[in-house]
Amino acid sequence: MQLNSSGSSLQSEINITPLVDVVLVLLIIFMVVVPLLLQGYDVGIPKTSAEAVPAQAEEVQVVLSIELTACRILEPPAGEGLPADCRVNLNRQEIPATDLPARVAEILGGRPLENRVLFLAADDRLNYEGVLRIVDLAKSGVDNLQIEFLTAD
Amino acid sequence: MRLGDPPKMQAGINITPLVDVVLVLLIIFMVMAPKMRKGPEVNLPNTAKPPEQGDERGKILVTIDDAGGLWIDDQPVAPEQFGESLRAAAGAQPDPKVVIRGDARLRFRQVREAMSAVEDAGFRGVGLVAQRAEGKAKGDRDHATQ
Repeated sequence: MQLNSSGSSLQSEINITPLVDVVLVLLIIFMVVVPLLLQGYDVGIPKTSAEAVPAQAEEVQVVLSIELTACRILEPPAGEGLPADCRVNLNRQEIPATDLPARVAEILGGRPLENRVLFLAADDRLNYEGVLRIVDLAKSGVDNLQIEFLTAD
Repeated sequence: MRLGDPPKMQAGINITPLVDVVLVLLIIFMVMAPKMRKGPEVNLPNTAKPPEQGDERGKILVTIDDAGGLWIDDQPVAPEQFGESLRAAAGAQPDPKVVIRGDARLRFRQVREAMSAVEDAGFRGVGLVAQRAEGKAKGDRDHATQ
């Protein structure tokens, strides 16, 4: 690229140095930040965190139970979402898991934010990823939903 | 490189090799980055919309690998020493956040027991780490190595 030999003194090349600078800084920022970000669900266990949960009379508690007979997820579910035949129990009423966001919104949507508590009882033998996907579905129904896992012991 | 040409001074620095080196470094870091995370690598559960939990620094990372083994940050711990190790990891932090990275293939029971142990050790609430289902590239790679 010996443009000067043509006698022209115009610089026809783009000066890429500032571009490289910016790209390097971006690269460093992403290298530091990206692998350290976490995504997940905050949950509680009422056993010892009872004081953190507003006391509720039994009739206003919303209990979601996932039983192995109605939603048989023993292996990580393939693809996204849940198997179509998965059914869960919301306040002792069996509903398809896909209806969960709408039903949770209906029951808890009208409550003040700090009272939106969903108690979750999941069968021990269920696959963990399946349980988390149900948590995700329930959470997508209303904002600020607090999840409390019920444990047998 | 036409050596026969009359010598002409090249005033600009030739940055092409620099860019080459930087790109290679970038690729190396991109490959290494997932391994820089604390704790062993696990196949995290994929969900549709996991809420952001922020930075992992300042949190205690509990990892449950696919064999059910417990890890606190980088150290494997025996179940009977779990609570003790957890309090040791918390040190002087007033109310550290505990997050559980559980393998997607675990039974719910293994995660529930770990959550109970975290609560028994005096921590309130845990975060269950998931990854967004669009992050297919990583998930698929992890599945391929099973």
